[in-house]
Amino acid sequence: MAWVSRLLSIAQPFRLATSLALPTTQTRNTSFFTKHTAAQLWKGVTSVSNAGRKRGRGKKAGKKMIRDLNRGQVIGVGKVNMVWPGLTTNVIRGRELVEQQQLPPDPEREARLLKLRNALGPFRRLKLSPPERGWSGNRLPGRTVGPPDPIGDEKFEGFETVVLESKAVTNMTGNLGRKRQMSMFVVTGNGNGLAGFGLGKAIDGKASLKVAKNRAGQRLMYIERYNGHTVCHDFFAQFGFSKLYVKKKPEGYGLKCHRAIKSICEVAGIKDIHVKVEGGSSNIQSVTKAFFLGLLQQKPPEKLAEETGYHLVEFRKDHGNYPTVIASPAKVSDDTKNVPAYDEYVMGNRVVLQRKKFPPFYVGTDGWELHLRKTLKYRNENDVRIKLRTAARYLNTQPAKPPKRPVTI
Amino acid sequence: MLSSRLCMGLRQLESSFINRQLLTTRRPATCTFASSTDSEKKYLFFENKVQDLLKRLTRKDVNKVFRKRKDGEKVEAAVYKFMTTAQLEEELKKADLKADELLQMPPVVPEREEIDEVLDKDEKLVGLLDTKIIFTDISLDKTDRSRTIAVRDVDGTLRLATWEERSRMNQIYFPRPGREIWVPHVFQDEALQPILERKDYEFILNRACAQFEPDDPDYIRVTTKTYEAVNSFGDFDLLRSTRHFGPLVFHLALTKNLDRLLIENLETDRLEDAAWALQLYNILHADAKINHDYKRGAELEFVKAYIDQCSKDNSQLELAYKHCKDFLSSPKSAAVA
Repeated sequence: MAWVSRLLSIAQPFRLATSLALPTTQTRNTSFFTKHTAAQLWKGVTSVSNAGRKRGRGKKAGKKMIRDLNRGQVIGVGKVNMVWPGLTTNVIRGRELVEQQQLPPDPEREARLLKLRNALGPFRRLKLSPPERGWSGNRLPGRTVGPPDPIGDEKFEGFETVVLESKAVTNMTGNLGRKRQMSMFVVTGNGNGLAGFGLGKAIDGKASLKVAKNRAGQRLMYIERYNGHTVCHDFFAQFGFSKLYVKKKPEGYGLKCHRAIKSICEVAGIKDIHVKVEGGSSNIQSVTKAFFLGLLQQKPPEKLAEETGYHLVEFRKDHGNYPTVIASPAKVSDDTKNVPAYDEYVMGNRVVLQRKKFPPFYVGTDGWELHLRKTLKYRNENDVRIKLRTAARYLNTQPAKPPKRPVTI
Repeated sequence: MLSSRLCMGLRQLESSFINRQLLTTRRPATCTFASSTDSEKKYLFFENKVQDLLKRLTRKDVNKVFRKRKDGEKVEAAVYKFMTTAQLEEELKKADLKADELLQMPPVVPEREEIDEVLDKDEKLVGLLDTKIIFTDISLDKTDRSRTIAVRDVDGTLRLATWEERSRMNQIYFPRPGREIWVPHVFQDEALQPILERKDYEFILNRACAQFEPDDPDYIRVTTKTYEAVNSFGDFDLLRSTRHFGPLVFHLALTKNLDRLLIENLETDRLEDAAWALQLYNILHADAKINHDYKRGAELEFVKAYIDQCSKDNSQLELAYKHCKDFLSSPKSAAVA
């Protein structure tokens, strides 16, 4: 062992020197990070406990997401910028054999990789622009999903489809047990009198949407409209428990109705309508069916005149209530005693209950009376202010300006 | 506002005094008119014959009278009714009467004269007040024109109010819809011009009717300017079947400016209208009558007589006359008829 001691004696001064210059560091070859797989580590960071999940944690925006640290890494490309023929480039370029060689280092590579890695930040919900949004949040009902797929030459140009209902439905089967499907109920139309609705079911949401959309495209109905903007007349329609009281409205009134009916009107091309839904307003399928039934059962004015045997006369306030004959029967009855009332006739003798509108709770209280007394003197203030602002531009009869006071020193 | 409020209190004090004054002094006519031949002729507007001709010239067209009006009121849902033929005819008759009402012409009257009548002068009141006091008779049986309105000036003069003061006081106590206390800027010439250029004749005429009395100099200025614009652009069809067409034709006939209207009538196959306009001309200018014995069916000859005797610049009118005559004599017109 003499050589060992000799070696030590030689090495000693050297060892001393090194121990002074470099402090010794403890190194361990095993650690928490080396003992676990990447999947286990990521799970530890991103997962939510069972109790937490029950409380709805880890679902909102800002949730930590698993990052793919290998993103952007390519085999054969590394810190040293090497050309590996057959791995990173072709072996033969043109007629020459590509040689293995080292290129000058690419300083931006590291930054690019980092950027790519950080692009995958925390979880963000898919954000829709306001016109693309449906009735509520990011949910599907109320959203437009494009025209039905073309059938042969028929391209469904100008058609638009709106989802009215999207829900999960199940049924029990002998060998699969509870079988879950997505059910989609959509309406499609060209905005000019053609519209149809369809129900589609499939395991996948997308597939069910496609089925529903195409089915709706194959069941188009033509809807009669008055001057292309509203229904032909007031009507009542019912399907199941959904009862609709539909009112014809003048231009510019807008769509004041159930949101599903509003979507139907938009795709069908009805612009002004008022609908009161009674009974099953949450059953969208029966609301839709009732509305379509009512639209299809509308009677043109000629038919109304022929059925009753009287002239159908229109009085419009914006036209000075001038009587305009809309339709006349072939043989006019002259019985003035039994002339049917138009509103009752088209509603199938149903009279809509007009609820009395009560004044708000504060009317008649002391505070309200006091408020009225206090604000009475300001009732014309805005008008007067506007007039005074333009007073200088009036004819020479304008109000006299107050005389300027002499400046006193 | 101060003066009007004071008025309520002081009215009683001075009213007896004013009444005494009014009894003793000559009560001035509320509208006195400038007397000139042209303004005297304006009274012919109320002659039955003239009214009849003007109404016929207006050509009542219910589609235009009852056209859709965007007058700022909320549009209500249309009302539908089932009707027998008799009921429908009754309704149509009612609508016809309503159309007549809507087509009632605003009167054409001569310009009024300024009121300048001092009732009393009291030197002792000088220095008592630093504003005028206006006394307005607001008894219910008075109209805006017959109401007595007097002003006590700072220098102690008690006088009848001027027209401008009258209109302001009337508007304060008895406001009329569409009328403003101060005359709006629209009626100033520089604002009127663009309105006439974009041919909003009916709008400005309606507005003038609401704002002014018919003998107001401003009303006469605005309407005359509008009628001249209509005449120079030949936009008679825009005013036809409105209540302003009668006064327009009356103005043109009075100022011997009928050529453009006759050209338009001849070009648009309105021979009868041309004859009526010339009949009106004959009534208004009894001194410079067209020497022609007009009978129905002889419209063309009547127009020809006017061209020969009265027209100022007749080359264009003659051309229109010739075209019309050629058209009527050609076989095409028979086919159209």
